Amino acid sequence: MHIDWFIFFSQIVNLLILMFLLKKFLFGRIIGAMDAREAKIGAVFTEAEKSRQEAQAAAENHRSRLRELEAGYEQMLIKARQDAEAYQEQLLEKAREEVDFLKARWMEALRSERANFLQELRRLAGNQIYAVSRRVLKDLAGLNLEERIVEVLMERIEAMDAEERKKFQKPAETGGSVMISCAFEIPPATQTRLNDVLHRFFSESIAIVYERSDDILSGCELRLNGHKVAWSVKDYLDSLEERFYSALYEETQEWKQVKEGVDHE
Amino acid sequence: MEVVGIDQISPDQVIFFAWHFVTINATLVYTWLIMALLVFGSIAITRNLSSDRTMSRWQNLLEVIIGTIRSEIREIVREGADSYFPFIGTLFLFIFLSNLLTFIPGYVAPTSSLTTTTALAIVVFFAVPIYGISKQGVTEYLKEYFRPVFFFFPFHVMGEISRTLALAVRLFGNMMSHEKVIAILLAVTPLFFPVVMQVLGLLIGLIQAYIFVVLTMVYIASATQTHEDAEHKPKVQQTT
Repeated sequence: MHIDWFIFFSQIVNLLILMFLLKKFLFGRIIGAMDAREAKIGAVFTEAEKSRQEAQAAAENHRSRLRELEAGYEQMLIKARQDAEAYQEQLLEKAREEVDFLKARWMEALRSERANFLQELRRLAGNQIYAVSRRVLKDLAGLNLEERIVEVLMERIEAMDAEERKKFQKPAETGGSVMISCAFEIPPATQTRLNDVLHRFFSESIAIVYERSDDILSGCELRLNGHKVAWSVKDYLDSLEERFYSALYEETQEWKQVKEGVDHE
Repeated sequence: MEVVGIDQISPDQVIFFAWHFVTINATLVYTWLIMALLVFGSIAITRNLSSDRTMSRWQNLLEVIIGTIRSEIREIVREGADSYFPFIGTLFLFIFLSNLLTFIPGYVAPTSSLTTTTALAIVVFFAVPIYGISKQGVTEYLKEYFRPVFFFFPFHVMGEISRTLALAVRLFGNMMSHEKVIAILLAVTPLFFPVVMQVLGLLIGLIQAYIFVVLTMVYIASATQTHEDAEHKPKVQQTT
């Protein structure tokens, strides 16, 4: 075991050369890279810390705003409820007004329709009654309805009391004329008999005028100076209309009660 | 494939070339091999260094090794660690690689030569006062040899010499004996046991490299610490 001094010094020189080369090619470079990475990571951490602080500040801001919102929430809720109730009341009022308006219009339309209906009913019923009566009289008694109507008119004239008859006689004597209005043409024979009755009861000189009028519902009337004797189906029709109206009214009331009951349910 | 015979104790005895006092032996050749590996390997790896998050595996390996050495130096010295780094790092890488390659058949570690380990120890022997004087100044450094009292000077000098000798002999003894043990085991039980010893040898090689550089660092630290610092911060224990 000896030391070779040439090798000894060579190894020292080798070590020094190795140190120089490693310093140049390894340590300097690799430490530079490590330090650069460390600096980069440090910068990233600094940035992250900054971001974290910003996020924390934002979160705190958010929380405080949330607290403010929560504080104002109840008040907003109460106000919203009040507004909603007021709006609901307003809408209800408007709806009620609209309903009232529609109801009034509907009632008006109903009344108008009812009036039209009754008018039409009256007309149709008059015609029908007239036709039926005419046929019944003809079938059962062999009588002509028009003649019978005129006869009834004549019977009424004959049945007048003195007081009533004077109402007609006075104008007749002073030159007034009697107006006979019928819904039909009076047969000539019947007309002659009517003339006789009129001359006999009112005055011989009385002027008699006949006219056809559709306004008189299946009847005849005598007019003289504002006085009148008449027979027509009108009375019966009035009665029918009255009965019909009351029946319609009752039915409407029942329907209304039923509807109100359903609405309440 | 034996380069160093079982009867030869050192690779110095395997001489490839000799002319007067100039001899090229196995120690020198393997030293150059280690140097070439380190230098060219460093050049190859550090050619494309990355300072980003991604890097090559070799760069990662080097960074781990160098980072570990750096942190070890910092733990011992605490201040100005980077100024000692080239010296300590070179010592560690050289010794570590020399010891590590012993598992390659035909290779003989230069550190199993007393000449090499003595050379390394002598370099350390001179490096310590150089660092000490550069840090403290000549007067302050020399004063340390006369503390606590003047007649401690011879003991200090003896300590310096003996620890240098210890450094050289420790490394040489471990590496040489390991190689001899492997050679003997190969002759006696050629199967299995040499492998186990080779594995153990890798560990021994690492430990010896570590011990050598840590002791060097401790010596340098003790030399660079001022007397006042040493009193206030007795963190360095001298080991011989």
